[in-house]
Amino acid sequence: MSPLNIERIDGVPIAHIHEDIDAANATATHQQLADALGPDASSLIVDLSETRYLDSAGIDMLLRLSDRLDHRRAKLILVIPDTSQLKRLATIVGLSDAIVIHPSLPEARQEAAKRPPGQVAAHPASGRTTTG
Amino acid sequence: MSPAADPNRQPRRGSTTRRESGYKRPVDIQQLDTETAEGVDTSAPATAERPPATSSVSNGRRSHLLSITDSALGYMSLEDMLSELLERIRSALEVDTAAVLLLDEDRGVLVARAARGLEEEVRQGVQIPLARGFAGRVAAQGRPIIIEDLDHADVVNPILRQRGIRSMLGVPIHVEGHVIGVMHIGTLVKRAFDEDDVTLLQLAADRAALAIDNARLSEQRSVTAMMQRSLLPDALPQIPGMRFSAKYLPAGSGIKIGGDWYDVFRLHNGRLAFVIGDVVGRGVLAASVMAEIRASLRAYMMQGHRLTEVVTMLNELLVSVGSNRGATLCILELDPEAEELEAVIAGHLPPLLIEPHGYARLLEQKHGLPVGVRIGHTYEAFCYPFPTGSRLLLYTDGLIERRDESIDEGFGRLLAAAETAATRSDSSLADRVYRTLLDETLLEDDVALLAIETMPLGDTLEMTLPARPNVLGALRDTLGRWLRAFDASEDELFDITLSASEAATNAIEHAYGAREATFTVRCEHDGRQATITVRDVGRWRTTRPQSGGRGLEIMRSLVDDVKIDSDQHGTVVTITKRLSHQA
Repeated sequence: MSPLNIERIDGVPIAHIHEDIDAANATATHQQLADALGPDASSLIVDLSETRYLDSAGIDMLLRLSDRLDHRRAKLILVIPDTSQLKRLATIVGLSDAIVIHPSLPEARQEAAKRPPGQVAAHPASGRTTTG
Repeated sequence: MSPAADPNRQPRRGSTTRRESGYKRPVDIQQLDTETAEGVDTSAPATAERPPATSSVSNGRRSHLLSITDSALGYMSLEDMLSELLERIRSALEVDTAAVLLLDEDRGVLVARAARGLEEEVRQGVQIPLARGFAGRVAAQGRPIIIEDLDHADVVNPILRQRGIRSMLGVPIHVEGHVIGVMHIGTLVKRAFDEDDVTLLQLAADRAALAIDNARLSEQRSVTAMMQRSLLPDALPQIPGMRFSAKYLPAGSGIKIGGDWYDVFRLHNGRLAFVIGDVVGRGVLAASVMAEIRASLRAYMMQGHRLTEVVTMLNELLVSVGSNRGATLCILELDPEAEELEAVIAGHLPPLLIEPHGYARLLEQKHGLPVGVRIGHTYEAFCYPFPTGSRLLLYTDGLIERRDESIDEGFGRLLAAAETAATRSDSSLADRVYRTLLDETLLEDDVALLAIETMPLGDTLEMTLPARPNVLGALRDTLGRWLRAFDASEDELFDITLSASEAATNAIEHAYGAREATFTVRCEHDGRQATITVRDVGRWRTTRPQSGGRGLEIMRSLVDDVKIDSDQHGTVVTITKRLSHQA
């Protein structure tokens, strides 16, 4: 069963994760998030406001996803509220050094708006597109 | 012209003594519809009855009759039985071909099912549209038809012509007044079939009808059993501090799949969903609607929708697909953390709540229409406190409804049975309630029953879990409830739970997906600190490809002490964290 809902606002895909991410679903979630980017979006917002737990498999998944998006010249933006237990965890494992984290969805959307679609090397002609 | 008097009648091949045995009545043209050489039906009334099966069987044909009605045929598989029956018909009636076609009602075609002398008809899967061609007309009119000369008749099936068949006789196969197929015979030389031929063939068709009907019933019975198994949960969840029990009993002979079902599943954030429902009607169609409802409810709930939205979406779905089958259902969501139960009822009987001190009451809330009935219908949710020690009973009407009593009497018996059952513990709650209320031999309707019991976790908690990643969520939920019970802070709860989950992930990796592998988690607290011990039979892997290093890093950062003892017998990870609040 899918642990996430995906919506698109102003062309920016936003994935709301409403389940814990752990070894049981990290791989499947990684694939769904990578697919959510679509052919021309330049940012992917992953909203972890409603996520209770993210274990080492989940953190690994986000780091790999960030690398994968880099290859497509797209940016991964996380939403983790300051009050969330995940905020402490992100600090401990140094997640904020590798991935942009905003405390709220509006701030994450502002960040995404700085990167209009079209900058992305998502077309085969660019030679840098990767899907896996 | 009476076929019996046909001057052109040819001597038949392989003719034996059959015709020597006596008197043959001329065919009654009012009963039999013999086609003329022009292929035009004679004026038999459309309402013509089929000839009585037992009429005018001459003594000499008794052996043929016996060969066709032989009860030993009943012990064969349908395929073998039809094949053997057709062979006996071929020899008894001295014809060259014999075939059975069965009606596919959904598509309105007859499909060749068994044949002798026309085997290619079955191999090629010949299909004859209803009311067209020879067999199609026999089925549509529901009475015997004779074709004396195929050269001049309307025949759809090319195989009949290719085989060089000249004359044919076909009779309908009836089950309970409905035509379910056609049996026909044919000769390579021109022959005028008479009333005895029709009678004997109709007897054979009746015999075949019996076998086909039985075979279909047994087929449906096995499909039923299979579907029913697939529609109920394989196993109820194992959650410490909770006990689930269920009963499902189909009424009658089990030929028709029941429309009752129940379901229990874990939602995100430690919540649980319970469902009970009843699709109108029985049989495979009702079961397919049930399957659709069950899958949709799980999907909507897992997506995090609220109960009222879930039921509304399901209602819209069912109405829009036009399944024409409503269903009553009751869906509940338990939040163990808040000790609260939320319920939406769509035309279903009210759930029964047994409070911790043993008092039983029905959750008689305003309920909506059954789902799948009216588009745009709205549903309301109601909340109830569900403190530890509470029990819940979900059931379908078969549990309490009796033919000669009011529903209130049924509720009365249920409440009394629940309160009695709550005081005992010799078997599961579902079993005790069921035994108190029902005598299995008198089951008139399907019964589904699901019982949920909650109980305190205790200071020490020990769980043995299958070594599969999908247990991690339930493990975290249980740890959360255990920690909350002695007022651990939210930070402590997160740190201990996530660390234990990391240790469990490692234990699961040790099992390498081995079947039946398990690991144990023991949780203890003395008021000042909590200790979680995760034990498995594998070795701690320091060189795990991906998250191994990070898992340990997380654990060490979140709790006060992480101890790893690994030897040839397995690995024990002990996590300790001091608690700020003194319980």
